[in-house]
Amino acid sequence: MAGPASTIVTELEAQTDLAKALIARAQARGAFLIWRAQATRAARLLVRSGRVEEAVVAQGSGHGVHAVLDDGRSAFGSRDDFGPEPSAALLDATIDAASSGGALGVAGGSFAPDAPSTARDLPAGIAAFDALDLDAASARLVALERELTSDLPGVTTTLAFQAVLEVWRILRSDGADVLFAVPRCVLRASLSSSGDARHTVGASLADPSPRMFDDPAAVATFLARARAAGSLAAALPDAPTHPAGSFPLVIDYALAKGLAHEAFGHASEADGFRSSVLARDGRFRSGDTVGPAHVSVIDEPVQGDFAWQPYSATGSPRRRATIVDHGRLRDALTDAWSARGAGTALTGADRAESFRSAPLPRMSNIRIELDDPLPAPGAFEDYSAERVRDLLGDAGIFSRHRRVAFLSGYGGGQVNPPTGDFVFNCKAIYALGPDEVVLHKPAIFSGSMFGALGAVREGFGPLKLDAIGSCGKWGQSVPSSGGSHYFLVLDPDPGVRLGGR
Amino acid sequence: MEVAALLTALRTARPQGRAIAGFNFDITTIRRLVIGTKDRETGGPHAPVSLSDSLNARFKLVWDDGRVSRGVMERRAIESDPHPVLASALAAAYDDPDARTILGPSAFPDVPTLDPGTVKLAEGAIDPFVPRLEAIRARLADHGLKTWSGSMQAAHGNTRLLTSAGLDVEAEGTSTSWSVSFDGESVGAGKSGRRLEPFEEFALRLDRLVTLVLALRGTAPARPGGVVPVLFHPGVVEDYVLAVLLHNLDGEQVAHGTGAFTRAQFGSGFASLRPDLTLRTDPLVPFASGAYRFTREGVPAAPVTLIDRGRLATPMLDLKYARRLGLPPNAPPAAMDTLFFEGALAIDEPAALGAAAGGVLVLGVLGVHTQDFTSGDFSLSAPQSLAIGANGFEGRLRGTVSGNLFELLRSDDLAFVRFPGETTPGLLVRCRFDAQ
Repeated sequence: MAGPASTIVTELEAQTDLAKALIARAQARGAFLIWRAQATRAARLLVRSGRVEEAVVAQGSGHGVHAVLDDGRSAFGSRDDFGPEPSAALLDATIDAASSGGALGVAGGSFAPDAPSTARDLPAGIAAFDALDLDAASARLVALERELTSDLPGVTTTLAFQAVLEVWRILRSDGADVLFAVPRCVLRASLSSSGDARHTVGASLADPSPRMFDDPAAVATFLARARAAGSLAAALPDAPTHPAGSFPLVIDYALAKGLAHEAFGHASEADGFRSSVLARDGRFRSGDTVGPAHVSVIDEPVQGDFAWQPYSATGSPRRRATIVDHGRLRDALTDAWSARGAGTALTGADRAESFRSAPLPRMSNIRIELDDPLPAPGAFEDYSAERVRDLLGDAGIFSRHRRVAFLSGYGGGQVNPPTGDFVFNCKAIYALGPDEVVLHKPAIFSGSMFGALGAVREGFGPLKLDAIGSCGKWGQSVPSSGGSHYFLVLDPDPGVRLGGR
Repeated sequence: MEVAALLTALRTARPQGRAIAGFNFDITTIRRLVIGTKDRETGGPHAPVSLSDSLNARFKLVWDDGRVSRGVMERRAIESDPHPVLASALAAAYDDPDARTILGPSAFPDVPTLDPGTVKLAEGAIDPFVPRLEAIRARLADHGLKTWSGSMQAAHGNTRLLTSAGLDVEAEGTSTSWSVSFDGESVGAGKSGRRLEPFEEFALRLDRLVTLVLALRGTAPARPGGVVPVLFHPGVVEDYVLAVLLHNLDGEQVAHGTGAFTRAQFGSGFASLRPDLTLRTDPLVPFASGAYRFTREGVPAAPVTLIDRGRLATPMLDLKYARRLGLPPNAPPAAMDTLFFEGALAIDEPAALGAAAGGVLVLGVLGVHTQDFTSGDFSLSAPQSLAIGANGFEGRLRGTVSGNLFELLRSDDLAFVRFPGETTPGLLVRCRFDAQ
């Protein structure tokens, strides 16, 4: 349902004539054009020690032109204004660059888009970004920090709030014309222990509305996460390190997002199929078994989510990609340049960090989903390490494994898709046994994607998909998100290891 | 760059009746050309030849009620109508007495940062890239390598700093960089600077990378986990060691007590790290990537010693945190080639490999951004490591490397290692390595 639009929507709606003139100019020179414009409005607040330490506002807009010649060679140009003359000069220079690429050995591509879409997708409430009351937000942030500081003596608290509205418009020579807005706001807390050995632990909550402060449920969730992070920061300096090796593991939904994202998501991005471990001779290994039959990995945009994007950066509808369907590879993350060569369906997965960036296949919201998960009543935030131990005990996990390492909280990850090597980090490790819960310092979790997915046994609780992050690839950073059931149990696998000391 | 409209607006704007009492505008124009290669495909659709043209400004405003605004302004606002952005900035104004300082004119050093050849490259005269691309492809064919990825770029930019205190200074510069990785290995080669390095140096870098990639093809015999000699390649030192040090030397972290170092440690004379360890920055190295004349606030570029023989000398300080900590502001490092990490004991690579027999050379690590930089605890995946034996490399090891960085930087076992062609040293330490 669309409500009143932001002024930056209007700005892009006003560029129709410019885009069409550029498309006509490209056509006259024998080039197909993908025109992509972006306008952003952003604000960031930082509060420390009861005062605002930083407030930054930014507005920007510009456009990129991706010109494709008949032989498939292409080039990309970008500029941060919509002036007709500089834009025409930019297009001419871009077509010249594509034409003269032979000296560099520039490769051609095959652009095979789906039927052109004409669409607008503007979420309700985006006009609120035009009327963001930063004074009120600052006051609220200061109050939240005061509340956390009184609850967490000896812990230094930093709170940040970021509100970003991105609006995109994409026109193509074949008539495609889509316009969509992506609102995202996030509250972050960074909590540091004091003393000689300091540890810092973070917490966050995302919401599409800049008025998330007015939602008591959102604020309560954020405070619960921040308190847990602060308590952890205070306890970590005295925690021992966990031994290195392969262990039975429990990971929470945020870490499961990390596993899905790092281990399978990146390797299924079709721009890397000449070297990805999930491809053979440039084609996705659809049908190959890569995990147990009760496990699936799915990527799709989720409305209102931190990484939501309804259309691709080349104007195709973004579709669900069931990367692993009950243990077998099925869909890749493809765009109009790569789907045909990859031998899989077009999923409209290309995203761009900004109008200055050439798009790449990327994830949106990725999850690990299990058939028949076991129940985990209540809210995720209610689960302390002790309660997770009880959950495992009630399900009989300790009869299979005398001790389990519980990895809690996602600390970021990385992957090398050609080899399948992935890593991610947690915020803490708890050694869980029938009668014990022992906190350990975090350690890197690494290994091979196939070992990790093959090790997944049980899942507990409903799907929870609000784990957020920032995904870096090829010099571009885009928001990412995802999750899984509250908790997943992984059996030990020699190809999956915890670091340690 | 055209700033008349901006200056008029700064003088006349009265959003909600407020006037601008002070301002600092750091305005930058950049023209850039990038040529990417993904999996042997140069300039393909996912890494096309790219041209970009940008103009933006970072600004600080001090309003007549003493409040401060910070923000970013882009071309159209700067050149034609800044008023809407100024009004938005007022809506985000906040009270911060430490952030009100605006600098006036000063004596700024001259440092060469402009290369005419690179200006032409950024404008599209790409001929100098051609033999370099051919050299990469030749190594692929000569050594049986399957694929490569990387990029080459050139940029030409101009920065103008304008303040309400009468400062109006400009700097023009170029930049160029390249990076290459072979066969999907995340370890790679590359160089950034203000101009292209000589072709011979480029070729030597490529050859050193080829040697490492070929050495990674063999698999080393399994080893038990334990504390062993670990030689961190300069790339790892830059990605992790220096990143942690710079994070904790940031004035903001020091002022708020969220970093590893406290205000009291700076200038105390107490050796927080090993007494021969020095970290200094020099932004006046001609044609260095990190060379510059002035900071975005108008502080003249000058060498700074951050850690002096193990003692914390000064944090990196912008105007705000300099005032808050009662120390003079300084010029932060802008790139690794102007950051000098030094120790009394510096050995060359062959000597280090001899001293590290039984250990590993760690060429690259995964997961740096997942570490807690405050504690210095690290637990990193090192899938690109080479086992070091009595007679050299024994093949690849995959494993995890772990320890505490600050303990390593206080250890008598630490040695600085000179690697050919690298301004950053490698580090030879003893820490835990657990092979898979």
